[in-house]
Amino acid sequence: MEMVPETEIQDEGILKQQREIEKEVAEIHPLVGNKQPLTCLLKEYMDDPIYTNKLTKLAGVYQSIRRVRPDGNCFFRGFGFSYFERLLDNEEEWKTFQAIVMGTKDQLISQGFPKFTLEDFFDSFMEVVNRLGGEGKMDAEELSRIFNDAGTSDYLVVYLRLVTSGQLQKEEDFYQNFLEGGKSMREFCQQEVEPMYRESDHMHAIALGSALKVGIRVVYLDRGEITTSPPEHDFPEDCTPSVYLLYRPGHYDILYK
Amino acid sequence: MSELQSALLLKKQLAELNKNPVEGFSAGLIDDSDIYRWEVLLIGPPDTLYEGGFFKAHIYFPKEYPLRPPKMKFITEIWHPNIEKNGDVCISILHEPGDDKWGYEKACERWLPIHTVETIMISVISMLADPNDQSPANVDAAKEWRENFPEFKRKVARCVRRSQEEML
Repeated sequence: MEMVPETEIQDEGILKQQREIEKEVAEIHPLVGNKQPLTCLLKEYMDDPIYTNKLTKLAGVYQSIRRVRPDGNCFFRGFGFSYFERLLDNEEEWKTFQAIVMGTKDQLISQGFPKFTLEDFFDSFMEVVNRLGGEGKMDAEELSRIFNDAGTSDYLVVYLRLVTSGQLQKEEDFYQNFLEGGKSMREFCQQEVEPMYRESDHMHAIALGSALKVGIRVVYLDRGEITTSPPEHDFPEDCTPSVYLLYRPGHYDILYK
Repeated sequence: MSELQSALLLKKQLAELNKNPVEGFSAGLIDDSDIYRWEVLLIGPPDTLYEGGFFKAHIYFPKEYPLRPPKMKFITEIWHPNIEKNGDVCISILHEPGDDKWGYEKACERWLPIHTVETIMISVISMLADPNDQSPANVDAAKEWRENFPEFKRKVARCVRRSQEEML
């Protein structure tokens, strides 16, 4: 209960160190990188027979990878970029998606999210969505520019986080089965979903995929020894995936067939 | 771009607060040319020890707002377990998750991009009504609040009186 000065100093030190690491990561990794052949990962894991074996199998299914900055937002940023990129070539799907996103704003406000900031994030999100098709349609290059502009890119992430939080709370009865450690859904959302830089797991994926009606396939690549191909999971279950993500412990990148 | 967006959002909030004031506080800028530095006047919430007081505070927003939280500092002298003697406000929603300097309980609400000046002020007002002595910023005030409430009350009453005099 009493303040312990040593702890305080230590924690401030850790916090400062964390900011420095964040800065370094930002300097090395673009928010969303260029498309690269999947085989580029083989070089990274040259001395690791397990990874090499798995990657070789994976390369039979997926052609390329697009790296996303490992800043804790990679699931949301990767999802956003990958799906928006797909919409650029799917006019009909874009129209459906536009309508779905339009509906999320009133839904979230009705759930009690502060209207003022919610509208700000929604407007920024919608502004980008509106330009994924129709007359003022952007090209892939511009999409990449938008996702690499920290301000806009982070706003898109915030909105996806809010949509995810809204879905988890709306369907609380279903999702609370996944909760660990006696947290309430609201606590989970306020601690693990809405704050920036918090990492995502399957709960985030199911909720986001369900809310926006977008199927997400995640391919898991780790050092677990298996003889078959790396395991894949679809979120929500039984969906038709339109976004493919590669998960390595603690991080997501975008995959292409 | 990041800077532009945070400035825009702050401008919009200021305009909104001027148009539709929220009960309990008023807001403006310290210096009209700097949208990142606000001055708020908080009216001591009714039915609390701070009732009748006028407390001036400054809010400093980072360029990364609303992704990162602002800091808040009382300029008017105020005696409260969660406000440092220099005026710095220490409530959990002004800290990011992972920033555990103050040893908040895990369940405490932290900074979220969705927060506004209004939601911050609502938290501050509720803090005035209901101090959290689990993570005191002013250890003396916290101790007094727990162990010598009459003296705590007396100190707060003095702050309230002084704040009224400063307003004249």
